[in-house]
Amino acid sequence: MTVREKKRRREAFWLLFPTALLLLVFIAYPLVNTLVLSLQEYKLTSAGKAHFNHFENFRAIIEDPYFTMILRNSFVFTFVTVALQFFLGLTLALALYKPFKGRNVYQAVVFLPWSISALVIGFTFRWLFNAEFGPVNDIGLKLGILQEKISFLGNGTMALSCVIAAMVWYGVPFFGIMLTAAFQSIPMDLYEAAEIDGSNAVKKFFYITLPYAKPTIVLTLLLRTIWVFNSADLIYVMTNGGPGNATHTLASYMFSKAYSTLNFGQTGALGTMFMAGLAIYTLMFMKITRYDGSGGF
Amino acid sequence: MKRKMKKRLMGILRFIILALFLLAVLAPLYWLFITSFKTNAEINSLEVTYWPHAFTLDNYQKLFEVTEFGVYMKNSLIVTLTTAVIVLLLSISGGYALARYEFKGKKAVLLVFLVSQMIPTILLFIPMFAIFGKMKLNNTLQSLIILYTVFNTPFCLVTLRGFFERIPTSLEEAAWMDGCNKMQSLVKVVIPVLFPGIVATFVFAFTGAWNELLAGIMFINSNSLKTIPVAINAFIGKYSIDWGQMSAACMIALIPTVIFFAVVQKYIVQGLTQGAVKE
Repeated sequence: MTVREKKRRREAFWLLFPTALLLLVFIAYPLVNTLVLSLQEYKLTSAGKAHFNHFENFRAIIEDPYFTMILRNSFVFTFVTVALQFFLGLTLALALYKPFKGRNVYQAVVFLPWSISALVIGFTFRWLFNAEFGPVNDIGLKLGILQEKISFLGNGTMALSCVIAAMVWYGVPFFGIMLTAAFQSIPMDLYEAAEIDGSNAVKKFFYITLPYAKPTIVLTLLLRTIWVFNSADLIYVMTNGGPGNATHTLASYMFSKAYSTLNFGQTGALGTMFMAGLAIYTLMFMKITRYDGSGGF
Repeated sequence: MKRKMKKRLMGILRFIILALFLLAVLAPLYWLFITSFKTNAEINSLEVTYWPHAFTLDNYQKLFEVTEFGVYMKNSLIVTLTTAVIVLLLSISGGYALARYEFKGKKAVLLVFLVSQMIPTILLFIPMFAIFGKMKLNNTLQSLIILYTVFNTPFCLVTLRGFFERIPTSLEEAAWMDGCNKMQSLVKVVIPVLFPGIVATFVFAFTGAWNELLAGIMFINSNSLKTIPVAINAFIGKYSIDWGQMSAACMIALIPTVIFFAVVQKYIVQGLTQGAVKE
């Protein structure tokens, strides 16, 4: 190695050092700590008495009568949300594909939900679905879709649908942005060549647009899936897991447990299981995207 | 002739789709907006109105009189701006290193950043509670600044790296020829060209910190240290909700990020798709 190369390596090291230190102290160390906690009897209310408790925390979680339901909620919530976000985002991106007057202004407006906090979205949708004074009930009655006012957030299945609706509202713009950009990066001459060959719009979509945008679509889908799976804030604001844990997902349940019980041992065990699932997902992710470190997120 | 008809039909369909999306996006925001200007009597009336009968600023006025909303706003601003500036500095130096240097372990570094994006923040809360406890940082704004910096830096850093990669190295080399050192060429040549990237990164970090809720709930206890989302959450968690006042609070909460997104949307789209879409 030449002196110059050594110097360059040192420069790169110091430029990345602060961030690396931050991630090491505040992400890597806490994750290891979670593993340790999961094996201990540790409640903040009786601190100082942490001790190994023979996987008792894991047993408590698996034997939790709500655990299966919460796990199932997590998958339903994630799958339905991502599927709807994707298809609506795709529709939006296709509609936005050809330029029109005012497209930039239109884009700026429809992409707004992405900038709004889970708190504001959660509050607004709670208010929209309100059982007495909410407009969804009011409009439903006026249009004759509903026979009587419904307590949307008071019924388990319906409450989960409402949370999904809010989550979809928030996430469609993200897919819209990514897909629009992917479509616009497709070279025009590909389409021109297809037209000469006599391809129609449907053919062009399936043989040019989709294959060309596939890497972006796969990457966006996989990342979105994990983000939706991880998100707890909207559920916390809209239903706080209720009624009767019916809308809790693994993520929101973990937050509730950490915050309200301060039972760090059990929450740590939940976190450890979460991490195991994540690790499997990440490996799958890297295999599917053939991630080589060259792309962004 | 048939072709023309078909084209026209497609155009109409497209218009309907675009209009529906616009309606779906705006309706919930419109409802929040009008609620914030209604009187309590009108809000709690079984006859739902879609334009305030009596337009009032009471909700906004009471918000500042009854609650310490000014304090919450100040806390949010302190946390958010400090976070955004630190994230930006880390992203510039780290993004530059990843774009301009080849070194062993670079792929591993990128992988670590990617994986850090997949870890739910709530997973870190429990151990962080203990760590902050030891550092005497529980229930301080500093704890939020640290967490928000950690949450937002990897994404912003990789985003900025994409912007750096689009700047030709020759631009910097020309500056070195003119006698600039690395630092000078970075400040005088690279950063001005990097402006869209810097704006996008700043807005991402700002939005991430401004909108964050759960860490705020977990780590802040004192009323005088609450950020806007944490404070609103405490009010709407109670049994009876003052819908008008809280709508006003939510309107104030969403204004900064909505303005940012509307004004610099072009840069944000560029930032989001950086790297994901390779040309």
